[in-house]
Amino acid sequence: MEGLAPLDALTVLAVAAKAAGYAAALLAAGGAIFLALFREADALVLRLARRVAVAAALAGLAVLALRFGIRAARISGLGLDGATDPVMLGFVWQSPLGAAAVWRASGEIAILAVLLPGLVGRIVPLLGALAVAVSYAQVGHTLGEPRWALATLLVLHLLAASYWVGALAPLRRAALAPGGAALLHRFGILAAGLVALLVVAGTGLAWLLSGSPLALVGTAYGWGLLAKVAVVAGLLGLAALNKLRLVPALQQGRPSAARALRRSIAWEGAAVTLILVATAAITTATVPPANL
Amino acid sequence: MIRLAALLALALAGGAHAHSKSVTTPADGAIVAEAPEIALDFDMPMRVIAFTLLRGGEGEEGVEVETESESGMASVTRYLAVPAEALEPGPYRVEWRGMSADGHPMQGGFAFAVDPEAEPEADD
Repeated sequence: MEGLAPLDALTVLAVAAKAAGYAAALLAAGGAIFLALFREADALVLRLARRVAVAAALAGLAVLALRFGIRAARISGLGLDGATDPVMLGFVWQSPLGAAAVWRASGEIAILAVLLPGLVGRIVPLLGALAVAVSYAQVGHTLGEPRWALATLLVLHLLAASYWVGALAPLRRAALAPGGAALLHRFGILAAGLVALLVVAGTGLAWLLSGSPLALVGTAYGWGLLAKVAVVAGLLGLAALNKLRLVPALQQGRPSAARALRRSIAWEGAAVTLILVATAAITTATVPPANL
Repeated sequence: MIRLAALLALALAGGAHAHSKSVTTPADGAIVAEAPEIALDFDMPMRVIAFTLLRGGEGEEGVEVETESESGMASVTRYLAVPAEALEPGPYRVEWRGMSADGHPMQGGFAFAVDPEAEPEADD
């Protein structure tokens, strides 16, 4: 198959670390977005959102350091000994990953401001969420042409994904909290527009990066992307089920509605995990057809 | 789930490529009368971090041949490696790894043979 990277332990480790970095970035940025949009939520729900955002931001910083080491090891050819080689680390720092790291670390540190009271605690984390999304446009396949279109689509795609991923844990808690049904309903109204944006931006990215739909079949990147899209379709199905069936059932106060909804949201979390691994795999170990 | 994992595993299985396209001199599989220098031409700048020239055919252990490169580990579109001594007749393999301009770790390899009887290749 065309466009495959040699697979070794370091590549697998790189994919795992990248997926963990995605999860941390989306949870941190998404937590900040949730806290800004749903200030009326129950105190326990807000506390959970804050905790997730802070833990994810800290994890994101740790993963960033780890990925620097993995990248240095991969380019050095020395195996793990290369992870601490100052020359190799210098090369990684000068590469786009260095620029991305500055944006991402700044963003993740800014998201920690969710712990601060008042306006600062609301505005700074939102700027942080934007910086985290922008960081991903500093590196990888979206550096190609058309640069601005790719970068803009990616930032929109990530902000929409953050809104969704960062809300999963707080919403799962909200299913049991007072006023939870109204919150879930409001989330769903906003989600309809944002998920459309997520899908449109993702499709635009795939189209620009692959050059043509035909190029998707027969390349590793294409198969990886199609696998990702298959899981996304399942995730959209779950989201539709929640929005059209389970949330209305919760609003009508049906017994078992909360349990069904919490289970469904947990499945959404599992699907998101798979999507992040697929995304990390296709951006690490394969080449978009347009670049072959 | 399992099908997706299998697909991903498939999508990640071996095979080599270059992130930015590379053209090599001598070309992969070429038989040349002499190879005073080995060139890797990339369409985007590449930081070549390791370059190994081995004397030996496919599947053999091979003996490393010393080469020098003026650009060292700088980011270049043309990487030139000059063998310390004229290459004796026989099969050769080149393996390199580096990092492309967009930060992706890259590696590649090709093989050629030196045969003084070989027809000089037309420049095209």
